[in-house]
Amino acid sequence: MAIIIEGRMIALLLLVISFALFYFYMQQAKSGAKISARTFPAVAAIPEAVGRAAEMGKPIYYTTGLGMGTLNNPSQGPQTLAGISILGHVVRLCSRNGVRIDYFTPIVDSLPLVEETMRTAYLMEGNPEGFDPHHIHFQNDQSPYLTASLGYMQRERPASNIMLGGFYYESVVLGEAGNTIGAMQICGSANTHQLPFLVATCDYTLIMEELYAASAEIAGDPDVLGSLRGEDILKFIILALIGVGFLLGIANNTTLINLLRM
Amino acid sequence: MSSESIWDKLQTVDRRVFYWILFITLMIPYLRPIGFPITTNPPPKGIYDELSTVQPGEVCLLSINSGVSAWGDCLPAMVACIRMLADQGAHIIVWGMGHTDIDITWREIMDRSPELKDYVYGEDYAYFGYIPTQETTIALLAEDIRAVFSLDRYGTPINDLPIMKDVNEAKDFRLMLSSDTGDVQGYYIRQWHTKHGTPIGSIGIAMNASGDLPFFLSGDLFGLSGGSRGGAELEQLTGKPGQAITTMDAISVSHLLVVFAIILANVGYFATRGKR
Amino acid sequence: MSEVYKRELVFIVAGIVAAVMMVTYFFDIPVLNGVAQQFQVWALIIQLMAIGLGAINLVRLNYRHIQRKSEGIWVFSAWFMVLFSIMLLLGLVGLATGSEHAIYSWIFTHVYTSLSSTLYAITGFYIFSAAYRAFRARNIDAAILLIGGVFVMLTNAPVGAVIWKGFPIIGGWFNIAGQVPAMRTFTITGALGLLAYGFRTLLGKERGFYGEAGQ
Repeated sequence: MAIIIEGRMIALLLLVISFALFYFYMQQAKSGAKISARTFPAVAAIPEAVGRAAEMGKPIYYTTGLGMGTLNNPSQGPQTLAGISILGHVVRLCSRNGVRIDYFTPIVDSLPLVEETMRTAYLMEGNPEGFDPHHIHFQNDQSPYLTASLGYMQRERPASNIMLGGFYYESVVLGEAGNTIGAMQICGSANTHQLPFLVATCDYTLIMEELYAASAEIAGDPDVLGSLRGEDILKFIILALIGVGFLLGIANNTTLINLLRM
Repeated sequence: MSSESIWDKLQTVDRRVFYWILFITLMIPYLRPIGFPITTNPPPKGIYDELSTVQPGEVCLLSINSGVSAWGDCLPAMVACIRMLADQGAHIIVWGMGHTDIDITWREIMDRSPELKDYVYGEDYAYFGYIPTQETTIALLAEDIRAVFSLDRYGTPINDLPIMKDVNEAKDFRLMLSSDTGDVQGYYIRQWHTKHGTPIGSIGIAMNASGDLPFFLSGDLFGLSGGSRGGAELEQLTGKPGQAITTMDAISVSHLLVVFAIILANVGYFATRGKR
Repeated sequence: MSEVYKRELVFIVAGIVAAVMMVTYFFDIPVLNGVAQQFQVWALIIQLMAIGLGAINLVRLNYRHIQRKSEGIWVFSAWFMVLFSIMLLLGLVGLATGSEHAIYSWIFTHVYTSLSSTLYAITGFYIFSAAYRAFRARNIDAAILLIGGVFVMLTNAPVGAVIWKGFPIIGGWFNIAGQVPAMRTFTITGALGLLAYGFRTLLGKERGFYGEAGQ
């Protein structure tokens, strides 16, 4: 007989509640219920970044960060994929405005996906010949990726830098290098350790789960909007647990802690 | 003629000026050490305290997940920990995810740890080299090391290594240390500590220290060494000064310079604020 | 294989693997535990194969650039081929002799290490100029950030305690009471975002995962 492993019952319960909430709100969104997501300034600034590049006749630099070098990474892969989702939107805008976009990545297994995303975006704009695989730049490992990106920025002086994904120390290097050349910079990451650097160096920043939600805002996808609502409800549940835990903690009562350890 | 006032100029000093000042002033403490006193803080002390309780013959793991670029931040702490573990008579197993540079890092640690000279390979320590470290691999290592490694780095079957006689899963380790520039220690927390209860200590770059601190405060990490400061504190605690303590003077100078630059910019900002 | 089948196949494989891994995390079912462990072994093998495939792909790509004399690229591709051949050859010699070739070690120790460390050290300079530009007390929030930042910096630098013993105390407070709650918030919200992302992927609703991001 299957038994729940000790200490994981509450975690299982929370997982089930989370999935149920996501599913419920996704169905609601699909059935036409209005779920509004707040506008992210970083997403709203993307057309401005593309427009700037069109006016200046300069390209756009786009990267999804080191992302631990693979899509397989459970915390970095989704960030890379979220960055690639937004890339599709940016490429369409670029195609519309005749702006060149150069994509840099050290993530080898993301290459087919990036190529497909960019090709599809140009195709959907009725501009299939606009796609040039030479604008996808792959460098193996962090240092070569950084060196290539810095060289590109100095040579091409892109009008805008868009950096959305799982960043490591390249965040501050790329951010400052972009700042040096006066590029408009939009960035976002769910890596806590890099957020201070992104916020300090970029004009607009998507913080943590905003990166995942940004594609929802762009696409208006009911599935994503629904799961966003589910996330919000979960945040209230967590806040309530923290509040109760805080009060019980003051009273030296360990009931909640013991319960969560079940 | 430029209409920029001195206050405006204070806010827009060319970054290259700062870079040169920083470059030159950083050299001074290396040429003529100042020796500011170093106080110890609870996170590195946590590593020291836990390592102090290791008994001779207990097996500890060092997972080298930081590359050579992070030597300045991570290497001194790794060296301090290995030297201390060797003093305690612990058995040490080493692996890691640096596919290009883990060999050089381990070699450097051995070179800087005279205590390992008396250690016998295979009995007192073993080196397994590179593992493709995604979370799945860490999870697998927690349950069956032999499913990942059949040979050590030098081609010896791990079953022939006496140190591996009773070691095959996370529970068999007294503790583990993860040296990290990214989030590999998070994999160990989830797959080794949460699932199997293995105590974990983190040696990270300074950038990651703020993100790692909540895990130390929650007890998921028994200790935390952030950047060269963490390494210096460990060197101080173990009474074996090394590279990190030397670096601390440079850290002091550079931090003072940053504070000075920030003050300059803000003086300029406040002086011109009313005119905007 | 049609695109539809490709998508369905990815969906089925991802679904089965995720279900098995989740069930074995929460329940103790010996049969499934063995299956889960096999999945982990496969993942490891696939990752290792990917490294080999990546190397082959790199050679192919660069060979093509040389063959076509791609403008501005082929010279670097040729340089890559030279270095790749040297490292491969030396690596194979090391493998055959059972010890690392001296030149191989030298390249790593004196070229790779130096270049990597230099590049990482650049961050120090960039952080300097970023702090100079970003830390302006434009409003009350920015002022608090600035003051907190200065205290934390002088806590981390030993000179802070020499200047004033209060720096490490106040800086420590900013470090623990100030930033840890924010980091915890980021961690929780990030995890929720990841959870929602995983759920959408499992239901086949995450377009990025299935290579449909541009649509």
